[in-house]
Amino acid sequence: MRSVDVARTALGNTFRSKLRTALTVVAIVIGAFTLTLTSGLGAGVNKYVDNVVAGFGDSSQLFVLNAGAGDAEPTEGPAEYDPEAATGSGGMFGPGTGGGLLTESDVETIEGIDHVSGVDPVVMVSPDYLETADGGQYDLDLDSPANAVGLELAAGEAPGDDGMDLSIPEEWLTIYDTEDPEAVIGETVQIGISDVTGEQTSVEAEVVGVTEEALSGIGATPMPSRELNQELSDLSMQGYEGQAEQAYSMAVVDVDDLAANEDSVKNALTDEGLLGMTVEDQIGAVQGVIDAVSWVLSGFGLIALLAASFGIVNTLLMSVQERTREIGLMKALGMSSGKVFGLFSMEAVVIGILGSVIGVVLGLGAGLIGNAWLTGESGPLGGVAGLTLFAVDPLSILGITALIIGIAFLAGTLPAARAAKKDPIEALRYE
Amino acid sequence: MSIPVLETENLVKVYGKGATRFDALKGLTFEIHEGESVAIVGKSGSGKSTLMHLLALLDEPTAGVVALEGEPVNKLKPKKISQLRNDTFGFVFQQFFLNPNQSVLENITLPLKIAGMGKSERNRRGMEVLEQLDMADKAKNKATNLSGGQKQRACIARALVNKPTVLFADEPTGNLDTATSEIVEDILFGLHRDYGITLVVVTHDEDLAAKCQRRLMMQDGEIVTEEHGVKEVQA
Repeated sequence: MRSVDVARTALGNTFRSKLRTALTVVAIVIGAFTLTLTSGLGAGVNKYVDNVVAGFGDSSQLFVLNAGAGDAEPTEGPAEYDPEAATGSGGMFGPGTGGGLLTESDVETIEGIDHVSGVDPVVMVSPDYLETADGGQYDLDLDSPANAVGLELAAGEAPGDDGMDLSIPEEWLTIYDTEDPEAVIGETVQIGISDVTGEQTSVEAEVVGVTEEALSGIGATPMPSRELNQELSDLSMQGYEGQAEQAYSMAVVDVDDLAANEDSVKNALTDEGLLGMTVEDQIGAVQGVIDAVSWVLSGFGLIALLAASFGIVNTLLMSVQERTREIGLMKALGMSSGKVFGLFSMEAVVIGILGSVIGVVLGLGAGLIGNAWLTGESGPLGGVAGLTLFAVDPLSILGITALIIGIAFLAGTLPAARAAKKDPIEALRYE
Repeated sequence: MSIPVLETENLVKVYGKGATRFDALKGLTFEIHEGESVAIVGKSGSGKSTLMHLLALLDEPTAGVVALEGEPVNKLKPKKISQLRNDTFGFVFQQFFLNPNQSVLENITLPLKIAGMGKSERNRRGMEVLEQLDMADKAKNKATNLSGGQKQRACIARALVNKPTVLFADEPTGNLDTATSEIVEDILFGLHRDYGITLVVVTHDEDLAAKCQRRLMMQDGEIVTEEHGVKEVQA
């Protein structure tokens, strides 16, 4: 018997008892649907995270923190005081933020490490308010300029190194009573900040960009240029008596050929009590969680498939029983046991193909429509720029289809072997 | 004399063991030559069906040898035996064994499909045989919509479609009334007469057996008598 005839006959036999086949296929569809949806979800969210990582762009950078801030290992009882560990000086960050800061000497140490080509220490400032041209004052938290590369811009440009510039988030457009982000570019604002003696001063800054909120949270708060940030920092230190030691929340370190030197630089930093992390290190943890969640969900899909495979076994066993005489006749007429086995396992494969194709198509449909609805302009998650919850990954679609067909084939082997073993004489005598 | 198409030597078939042991065949030795028509006659339980199954290579003997065209088949692999059955034998069963969901043409071309022949060639050969048996107009009908006589003619068509050397007929008229039986018998003996096909008929029907050139009378697993020559049946 030719393979094409085996396939055609199997297809014909599958549709002989339509209801039974349909019910078996439904079980497979549920599994295929779940798997498609969960893998698409994982792929979609990971794709978004990748985009966020790509948004940070410069992959030659390492973010360096004081190890005390990086690994907040819980200690039994009160931690011992360590004079070497830098603390927030001058109350710049207020009480409770001490520890885990970088000092000038740390920055020098970092500069001394091999392969480090540049160190950009980040100063955190806590301004009091932002005042618009018409006098309205708003509570203000500023993002760090080091995050500027991760900004998703709705209009204008990201605040750079020079110039007294800042960007504002899209939500802040309500201040100007407009929905057009372009309209606020060029507006000037006053930023007020208190120095150590409690006296408020203010500086003028220009709005150069409007940002969308990214998954990382970047873009949700105004972001100053480096010059504005430094200016605010200097203002906040006014009136400090004695030697003010500059302290940094972290440093952005440029490394030559990060891919090759990542480990050596990180080790050198660790020796100095510092912690270096790449963007991938930070985002990787997020992706790990997403992967874990999508694997757990896929596990449910697999359980559904496992149950469905017993449906195939059951359906085909019934079919073999019903067609005992037909099998006997085919064997009497010279069909080999191998071909009988092939015919019945092909029927299982046909059921698998039907179920997987229908399930995958439904899963893709549900995923794409759900994604369009949830992340669309007016959807519940529409505010998050560039968010994708579902992505089509052709490889994993093919993988899912192949997996299901494989499972169907395995499920078909038991009934097929039973059919192949039938003795033609017994089968023909069977009433 | 030419090599017999089928021959047996001391053919023994035993079912069961110990107390339930049943000797279905007790050492049969005979030959069937090409172009012969042979009836295996006996009551139920005489071992005639068992003998046919062994001759048709559907079953293996407990002891003894079946040889096809001088070649013992005992040593052959199952796959080869299946292929031999497909190539050399045609089968007509008492209970037609037609697939009710398929058309007559699909039913009768099953042996060719099993042999691995392409669809167009299959259908051409199938139509040829159906025309030969005046069934061409039923080719597209579902097998369930046929009368008993038509069903048996379809079965004969299926048995002939692979141009077999030997045609086995197991109670071919057992399910048919007298008039249709005669038509089916005429077809079978016509094929034997006109195309020289070797006919092996298993039956308990004396009238059908009488039309064969040779009759092997079986009883309790042994051939008790052997008759030669076509008997004139008294009307």
